[in-house]
Amino acid sequence: MKKQLRSVVYMFLISLFFVSLVSAVKHLNEKKIASNQALKLQWIILKVLDIESEKNTSDDQISRLFTERVKDIRVGDRILYAGYEEDGHTILGYAFPVGGPGFWGPIQGMVGVNPDATKVLGIAFYKHTETPGLGGRITEDWFSGQFNGLRLFPIEGDQKIFYLKPAGTTGAPNELDAITGATNTSSAVEAFLNDELDYFLKELWTSVEERE
Amino acid sequence: MPNLPSKKEIFLTGLWKDNPVLRQVLGICSTLAVTNLMVNTFVMDAGLIFTVCMSSLTVSLLRKYTPMRIRMMVQTLIIASYVIIVDIIIKAHLPDISEALGPYVALIITNCIIMGRCEAFARNNTPLASFLDGLGMSLGYSLVLIVIAFIREPLGFGTLLGIWQTLLSLTMESAASRSTGKKNWLSKEEILCCSA
Repeated sequence: MKKQLRSVVYMFLISLFFVSLVSAVKHLNEKKIASNQALKLQWIILKVLDIESEKNTSDDQISRLFTERVKDIRVGDRILYAGYEEDGHTILGYAFPVGGPGFWGPIQGMVGVNPDATKVLGIAFYKHTETPGLGGRITEDWFSGQFNGLRLFPIEGDQKIFYLKPAGTTGAPNELDAITGATNTSSAVEAFLNDELDYFLKELWTSVEERE
Repeated sequence: MPNLPSKKEIFLTGLWKDNPVLRQVLGICSTLAVTNLMVNTFVMDAGLIFTVCMSSLTVSLLRKYTPMRIRMMVQTLIIASYVIIVDIIIKAHLPDISEALGPYVALIITNCIIMGRCEAFARNNTPLASFLDGLGMSLGYSLVLIVIAFIREPLGFGTLLGIWQTLLSLTMESAASRSTGKKNWLSKEEILCCSA
């Protein structure tokens, strides 16, 4: 009996020690992680709006560009980022977050469109848990770059805004290369991104019409 | 008194004679998972070296106090704590690599080498010897991974730490154009994309 009690107390104390250690490390780094993520988001927004896409842009430059040229507004229940030209008042395009289930876990991305929401300026995925080197390649420029200039239109029935097909079998401008070796991730992206684009663009088109 | 191995022997055993991947067949999953790019491999290696050394050291320090029946639980707790610390630090200071490695950092916890060394060595040996054993084993693991990544990265992506891109993509392109049919394991476009 005494032995068992000792085991319980020992386990409790050692858990307490290590949990405190981990919490302390997390606490010390929390701010840095949060600011990394915020900066990453700003960078992604600048990138999909095609304001800045140079990889070596410094952190200060990113936050400066972001405060100068991007404003967030609410449309429906979501956030919309409006990007401005260098003059500061001509609208260059809108960026909005999209997300949905991937193969392993949720995927989050950002889509940039032109002011009347008829063309994609850029797409980037920034949060996912897909397999590195396979599904994880959705973050690579060759994949997301394919969406640049994609024509957007109101869809009806089973139609989709874009299709992901095996590399080498694509023909039409709305057929893009899927990722070889990551069929599940590719079809997940095709499914949720089409839905999200459809949903969000309808809201955006309505608001554009209202303004006109 | 049995003939105890010297510190140097303990360290060297893990590097080659008892190499964890090649001889003990431990840590195979991560060996295949993170060797697609050299950069991923280096970070995984660094994470594993830290975790194995620290876990072995801690388990060894506590070896006289830990009750036998709960030792596995204690080891798992120790290993998990160190891995989460590594994960937090990579997230805070190397955000790009943290993204590239995705879930694999957290999976260091399940790497058999760590618990294997705690069970087989650290719980019966002195802290210094355990630390050296951990260092030797994790370096042995790293060595194998680097060799595999050295072969896999050029084959899969046509790059090598981002260097030699043009040269490799040219040779690969001609190889790819020689092979026929739709079953090309690397399409021409893909090679061009990689080298761009």
